[in-house]
Amino acid sequence: MHPVHEAMLQTRRDFLTSSASGIGLAALASLLQRDGLLAAPNPLAPRAPHFAPKAKACICFYLEGAPSQLDLWDPKPKLNELHGQKLPDSMLKNVRFAFIQKEGARLMGSPRKFTKHGQCGMELSDFLPHLATCVDDIALIRSMHTEAFNHHPGQLMMNCGVPTFGRPSMGSWITYGLGSESDNLPGYVVLTAGRGSSGGATSWTSGFLPTTYQGVLFRNQGEPVLNLNNPEGLSPEMQGKTIAAITELNRQHLIRSRDPEINSRIAAYELAFRMQAAAPELLDLSTETKQTLEMYGVDRSDPNIQAARGGGKGQFHAFAKNCLLARRLVERGVRFVNLYHASWDHHSNLDAELGHNCLMADQPVAALIKDLKQRGLLDTTLVIWMSEFGRTPLGENRPGFAKVTGRDHHPFAFTLWMAGGGVKGGTILGKTDEIGWNVVEDPVHVNDLHATILHLFGFDHKRLTYRFQGRDFRLTDVGGNVVTKLLA
Amino acid sequence: MKPIGLATICGGVVSAAVLWAADPLSRPAAAGLPPAAPGTIDFERDIRPIFAAKCLSCHGAEKQRGGLRLDHGKAALEGGNSGVVIKPGDAAGSRLLRLVAGLDPDTRMPPAETRQSLSAEEVGKLRAWIEQGAVWPTSDEAVATQIPRSSHWAYQPIRRPTPPVVQHREWPVRNAIDQFILARLEQEGLTPSPEADRNTLVRRLSLDLIGLPPTPEEVDAACADPSADWYEKVVDRLLQSPHYGERWGRHWLDAARYADSDGYEKDLGRPNAWRWRNWVIDALNRDLPFDQFTIEQLAGDLLPNATLEQKIATGFHRNTLTNREGGVDQEQFRVEAVVDRVNTTFKVFLGQTFNCCQCHDHKYDPFSQREYYQVFAFFNSDVETDTPAATPDEQKIYDQQKAAFDRKRGELQRAIQDYKAQELPAKVEAWEKALTEAERKKLPADVTAALDVAPEQRTEQQRQLLINHLAKTDARLGELTKALTAHERTAPKLPVAPILTRGQPRKTHVMIRGDFLRPGIAVEPNTPAVLPPLRPSAASGSGPTRLDLARWIVSPDNPLTARVIVNWVWHKYFTRGIVPTLEDFGTQGEKPTHPELLDWLASEFMARGWSLKELHRLIVTSATYRQVSHARPELLQRDPYNALLARQSRPRLEAEILRDSALAVSGLLVRRIGGPSVRPPQPAGISELTYAGSAKWVESTGPDRYRRGLYTWFQRTSPYPMLMTFDAPDSNLCCVRRERSNTPLQALTLLNDTVFVECAQALGARLVREKATTAERLRHAFRLCLAREPLPAEMDILSRLYDGLRHSAAADPAAAAKLAGQVPPGVEPAEAAAWVGLARAVLNLDEFLTRE
Repeated sequence: MHPVHEAMLQTRRDFLTSSASGIGLAALASLLQRDGLLAAPNPLAPRAPHFAPKAKACICFYLEGAPSQLDLWDPKPKLNELHGQKLPDSMLKNVRFAFIQKEGARLMGSPRKFTKHGQCGMELSDFLPHLATCVDDIALIRSMHTEAFNHHPGQLMMNCGVPTFGRPSMGSWITYGLGSESDNLPGYVVLTAGRGSSGGATSWTSGFLPTTYQGVLFRNQGEPVLNLNNPEGLSPEMQGKTIAAITELNRQHLIRSRDPEINSRIAAYELAFRMQAAAPELLDLSTETKQTLEMYGVDRSDPNIQAARGGGKGQFHAFAKNCLLARRLVERGVRFVNLYHASWDHHSNLDAELGHNCLMADQPVAALIKDLKQRGLLDTTLVIWMSEFGRTPLGENRPGFAKVTGRDHHPFAFTLWMAGGGVKGGTILGKTDEIGWNVVEDPVHVNDLHATILHLFGFDHKRLTYRFQGRDFRLTDVGGNVVTKLLA
Repeated sequence: MKPIGLATICGGVVSAAVLWAADPLSRPAAAGLPPAAPGTIDFERDIRPIFAAKCLSCHGAEKQRGGLRLDHGKAALEGGNSGVVIKPGDAAGSRLLRLVAGLDPDTRMPPAETRQSLSAEEVGKLRAWIEQGAVWPTSDEAVATQIPRSSHWAYQPIRRPTPPVVQHREWPVRNAIDQFILARLEQEGLTPSPEADRNTLVRRLSLDLIGLPPTPEEVDAACADPSADWYEKVVDRLLQSPHYGERWGRHWLDAARYADSDGYEKDLGRPNAWRWRNWVIDALNRDLPFDQFTIEQLAGDLLPNATLEQKIATGFHRNTLTNREGGVDQEQFRVEAVVDRVNTTFKVFLGQTFNCCQCHDHKYDPFSQREYYQVFAFFNSDVETDTPAATPDEQKIYDQQKAAFDRKRGELQRAIQDYKAQELPAKVEAWEKALTEAERKKLPADVTAALDVAPEQRTEQQRQLLINHLAKTDARLGELTKALTAHERTAPKLPVAPILTRGQPRKTHVMIRGDFLRPGIAVEPNTPAVLPPLRPSAASGSGPTRLDLARWIVSPDNPLTARVIVNWVWHKYFTRGIVPTLEDFGTQGEKPTHPELLDWLASEFMARGWSLKELHRLIVTSATYRQVSHARPELLQRDPYNALLARQSRPRLEAEILRDSALAVSGLLVRRIGGPSVRPPQPAGISELTYAGSAKWVESTGPDRYRRGLYTWFQRTSPYPMLMTFDAPDSNLCCVRRERSNTPLQALTLLNDTVFVECAQALGARLVREKATTAERLRHAFRLCLAREPLPAEMDILSRLYDGLRHSAAADPAAAAKLAGQVPPGVEPAEAAAWVGLARAVLNLDEFLTRE
């Protein structure tokens, strides 16, 4: 037994038998019961959704910056043919770009080689050899579109359903709706690898929902949760005694003041202690087999290549470890895991930078899907790969660039995918036009995506609401239709 | 097909249908219109019935969807928010006709789902009417001048109700507030709670008024004070404390979405934002009347002979976010800042969800989208500027630095002049002698021309020319010049403050669906018609200004402002507003629990000259405020949210006040007021969350490590974790009401965060230093942290905890020494460590975190 628990139990026993305490625990319990104080609601208690869910947990990859769909997911032979040509003025007339100068902008083909994979015949680029082996579990959406074309507003849109501040993120909504299955870890966990992203902490905000539903940042080494470790020199035994005393003193006060909030406080301290034991255990990979570690590539080091926009040193290891931790979190009942990785904003040097990032991400993400599947968790775990928008078929010609080697922000058509958790594997949804400029078939708006995700978790997106400022708000704002073609 | 213009709109989801809609302008003009009806059209006979049957339910006196009304000629011909819809004589160019004819299938009017579409014959009549000049009789002029009315309580004038008489004579009535509260309790058959103990009251007042716990001496003094007005004396002392401005200033900072950085991706620092914060603290401390407080913040720059302080007050609306991300459309984010100013103004001062009208008429409240842009127009021409704003101390330092700088610059300049005058001529001579023919050929023509003249016959101009030529390549002169340039870069700068000022007048248009790329009709500055009219001052010849708006907000006949502000203050004392939805006094907000009390307070507030300190005094001296916070079982049943106030509430302290309290009781708090933001210790890895780790957190050292929480640097994309864990607002939007959550992360923060561990160490050492025996130290811990003596059962738990900790600590003296931090002389490490551990436990008690 963990020393904290042991000490707490011991002190409880002391408390129960001690005449000096003035009141026995049994008597206390009955007093509390009588006053209805034991029933203080736990905001993270598991709750049933509107109808039987397919997904119980979510692992959401956020590749911040907007990976190029034209070089990964959406092959465009015609674009390659038209490489170097102008777009007709009529197509450019009402478009705003972040950096492209309309004058002189030219289409840019992709040097990537696309091949068909799996039974479904999904075409993927040669940057994704591992994910190519998972395509029959993946539902690819080539027809995403959004409303924002700058990073931070785009990220707010993707995470919170509107491109403005103040709304809860998807993870917060789902945790608010379902509570958590874990007794000793938070319901919504965020892991990051590499450098910080545009949105920073606003990406996992709980907005107007209580802070209880905010994403809790975990670190993949050292102290996994902020302030998890006891002060230097304070042993677990001392911690146990401290918590036991705090609890008993709080109970004494509860009897006098009868404020149910004190009960929640006691519960919060107890959860904090359980977390002190559970979170380090989470990071301890010694129970994982060598085969598993190799499959995820946890011990890979960064390749020695020039990648100026990359997310910093050590990220090959960090990203792979996060993928494995995501599985471990879900196994331990965590509801929503957000994995962030920044530096997919390839305005220049796209081939090298995107190749570098894919080398980092492809293997561990594929490993996670396979690992979840072999453990029977994929059916109930929704895996999502997303970003804020896509990239332009036009090469980026911003002033000062010597050569055109990258693509600009493109909100009109981009690709993301989901796997597991009740989505139909092997689906290829939607089509873009010949150059990937616009969606021509099965458009999926961000609100539609969110409606579909909530549906997988058993929610009617129009009924998962929170009243704030006189209005019932929802993740899908005033839009959203469930994309039934994606459902298994 | 074409992509849409990208809108960032509230509630704005542009449907897929619109996304791929054909560009209506590219269609041939009159194609598809039914033929015009033959003969002369009579408006009353042929046209008005069509409007009445098919249009007026959305475009009449009640509702004006899209800003269009068709029940009145002048208004109809002016058009809607998008512009003119009826062009007399030009049927094909009249948008009305295109819409009713269904030429653009996605925007047919009336909408297809209403099944009210016009027949071809009806469209033909309209066509003929427009072609014949769209004649509209003027019989209905009066209709349009109707003022929208609303029976909603919040838009009615503030009355001054007579406080009701309470039947229970024995219940304590200290002022009118109690009469309203008790009368309601009487109605509900509930009894009020008794007054809390003196020590509880002193702690309550201290936390509420200055945000710091009382010292044991302050508690003792109040408890021992035999005078009848002991309580009022405590209130007076606290209201005069300069920490009052910090406490209530922080509340105001929430409303003003104050932060020390830009927000959005780049999130650059705002090193001068604190100037406005200083202004707030000072304004509250000198009890600047709230009406003036409002006017100066919204329009201090426009006041006649505005002082520097009044200009700095406009920093209120400089707290909007700035997006410096590469590739943003500057106009888009300028508009967003203006939108934020409108929304914040209406939420903070008027308690309205006016923000809904950015994209459409309000769905519930009597505000139109057009009115939104009329208010927008007050702010639309403003520009963000920085003004020199040195404090006297800073001015002194600047003057000294500037003098030293000028002195050094003078020296450097003189050195250059001297060198040029005294040494360069000789160098010219030497250079000229050593010059070879080949070198000479490469020289500029004017230089060779000067050299051709014999040295003694050269003009002054030629001499100078040669000196200047040589100066270009002279190494020594190069060094001197470089030194001067380097020095220039160190020129001291006068501190500046961010303010709002009026720029070039800018035309304001309604933005269709809130999209700045879709300007509709032009509008002039004005206030919503449902509220009392704006009365622009005579001086503003060029139309109403922000100053007029500010004065309108605090005019005594504005039914909202005083109510909203007294409610905001009330909620800080009782955790619940009289109107629980502080931010929404509209029809969807909750109704006031005590409407008459709200009005009485609002009228009293104005009668007392909008003095916030007088309002505080009024509330805290009521018997209602002075009740115990303990809940009786029947109250938990009958009134779990304590809306009726048969007792006080027990709010958890706000994030900053929790920090301040821990620092104060441990003796670490540095009580310096005002100044730039500071960076106390925060866990590693937090600022790495910012974009590419751009915001570096350089930990403050010395006294700045222990300043009050409101001075902590607030970086919007990586806010200080302790603040966020305890529900401080994220400062991206204005916040008039904080959540109060209760989470395990809070426990971990108070137990283990560096700041709180340092507090525990300092408090542990303080207990040892100030008291001799174990029992005295335990009691001291309670008195410092909770302002009361421990009960026997509590003493028992505390002493067993102390013994247990000491026993554990003794097993590992090295660890004990680490935990203790600095071990006081003559004290065993295990004992010191046990006191730190005990202090840590007391700092984590629910009662310490709570205002009882």
